[in-house]
Amino acid sequence: MIRVEGLHKHFGSLHVLRGINLRVAPQEVVVIIGPSGCGKSTLLRCLNLLERPTSGRIFIDGEEITAPGVDENRVRRKVGMVFQQFNLFPHLNALDNVALAVRLVQRRPRAEAEAWARSLLEKVGLGAKAGEYPSRLSGGQQQRVAIARALAMRPQVMLFDEPTSALDPEMIKEVLDVMKDLAREGMTMVVVTHEMGFAREVADRVLFMDQGTIIEEAPPQEFFINPRHERSRAFLSKILS
Amino acid sequence: MSGWWDWSYVAQFFPYFLAGVPITVLLAVAALVLGSVLGLALALMEMSGRRWLQAPARIYIEAFRGTPLMVQILFIAFAIPFALGYTPNRFVHGIAALALNSAAYISQIFRAGIESVDHGQVEAARSLGMTHAMTMRAVVLPQAARVVVPPLTNELITLLKDSSLVFAIGIPELTTRGRLMASRTFRPVEAYALLGVMYLVLTIPLSYLARRLERRLSRGVRRPA
Repeated sequence: MIRVEGLHKHFGSLHVLRGINLRVAPQEVVVIIGPSGCGKSTLLRCLNLLERPTSGRIFIDGEEITAPGVDENRVRRKVGMVFQQFNLFPHLNALDNVALAVRLVQRRPRAEAEAWARSLLEKVGLGAKAGEYPSRLSGGQQQRVAIARALAMRPQVMLFDEPTSALDPEMIKEVLDVMKDLAREGMTMVVVTHEMGFAREVADRVLFMDQGTIIEEAPPQEFFINPRHERSRAFLSKILS
Repeated sequence: MSGWWDWSYVAQFFPYFLAGVPITVLLAVAALVLGSVLGLALALMEMSGRRWLQAPARIYIEAFRGTPLMVQILFIAFAIPFALGYTPNRFVHGIAALALNSAAYISQIFRAGIESVDHGQVEAARSLGMTHAMTMRAVVLPQAARVVVPPLTNELITLLKDSSLVFAIGIPELTTRGRLMASRTFRPVEAYALLGVMYLVLTIPLSYLARRLERRLSRGVRRPA
C-alpha cells in the first residue's frame, strides 16, 4: 500500500530524514515511535505531501506520488490525516467540518454529503453532537470529529500524527478506541504516538526512529520485550519507567 | 454684532452642509467597498509566493502608501484624463482615487487577517484534498473575516476624513461646502467649526463600534490549546 525508497528531507541545512525505506502492507497498522525531533512527524507529512521530500520516492497504492506532475490534491484524497492539534474548522459545526471536503472536493450534493457525514459522526460516537461547534466540544470529541472528517474522503490509508498528545488523560481512551475500531475494520494505518499500550495492542509492526533514520522495526511483542538496538532500549527505559 | 462667533450663521450653514453628508458618506463607502475588493486581491497576490504576482502587488502598495493622497487625487483626476484625452467625471475619479489609495492599506489589513488564521487550518484543509483556492474561500477567509472587521471599520473612519481632500477636484461634499460658505460669507470660524463637528458626528459612532467589535473579538471563541 505504501512504499518509501531512500527518502531524504532537508529543512535548509537541517537534515531531518536520512534515507528512509519503508513498506506498509494493505490493512497493516504501523506505529512509529522515537524521541521528539527524530523526524517521525516529517516522515508522516511526506506521505501526503504536506512536506515535499528532498529526494527519494514514495508510492501509494502502486502510484509514485513523488513523480513530477502528480496532482497532490488527488493524492491527498487517498491519504487521510489526523493532527495532534485536531485542526477542526472553528467556524463550522461538527457536521459541516466532516461534510465540507465531501461537498467541495468530491462535489457531492449537500444532502448526500451531510448524510454521509452524519453516519461517520455516529461511527465515532458523536451522532448527537452534529450541530455543535468545535469550541463546545471536548478535546477527545474534537479529535473524534477530526477522524470522521478524514474518513469522509474514503481514504485508503490513515495517518495519525500524535493524535492523543494534546489530550487530557481521561480523553485519550475514547480516541484510541475509535482508532482500534478502524484497525479492526482493516484500515491501513500509520500512527506516530507515545501510547505504548496502543502500539502493543494494535500495531502489526513498531518502527523506532532516531536522528532521521529507522533504527529498528519489529512486531510489538518482540520490540517491547527484547529491543535489539541500544538506542531503542534507552528510549524504552525512559518512557516506560 | 461684530464678534467672531454668531450662531445664526451656524443655523444658516447647517442645511447646506447636511446636503453634503450623503456625498461624503457615498465617497467613503464606495471607496471602502472597491478598495476591499482590490485590497483582497493585492493581499492574495502578496501572499501567493509567486514572484510575478508579489512584485506588482508590492510596488503598488509602496507607491500608494509612499505618496500623499492629495497628489494621487490630483494625478488621477487631472493627469490621467489629460494624458488620455477625455473629460473626467469628477465624482468617479474621486471615488477611484480614494479606493485605489485605501486598497494599499486594506491589503495589509487582509494580510494580517489571513496570517492570523492558524496554519494548521490550511494543512487540515489541504490534507483533505482541497485546493489552495477552496482552502482560502471555505476555511481561511471566513475566519479572517472576523479579525478584519474592526480595522476595516477604522479604515472607513479614515476614508470619511480623507474624502475631504477631494474638495481639490470640486466634488460638492462636506469640505467643499465648508470652504465655499467660509469664503462667501467671511465667516470661517462658524463654517469650519461646524464642518469639524459634522465629521465628528459621522466618525464617533463608528469608532465606538470599532472598539466594541475589537473587544468582542478579543474574548472570542478561541479553541482551547
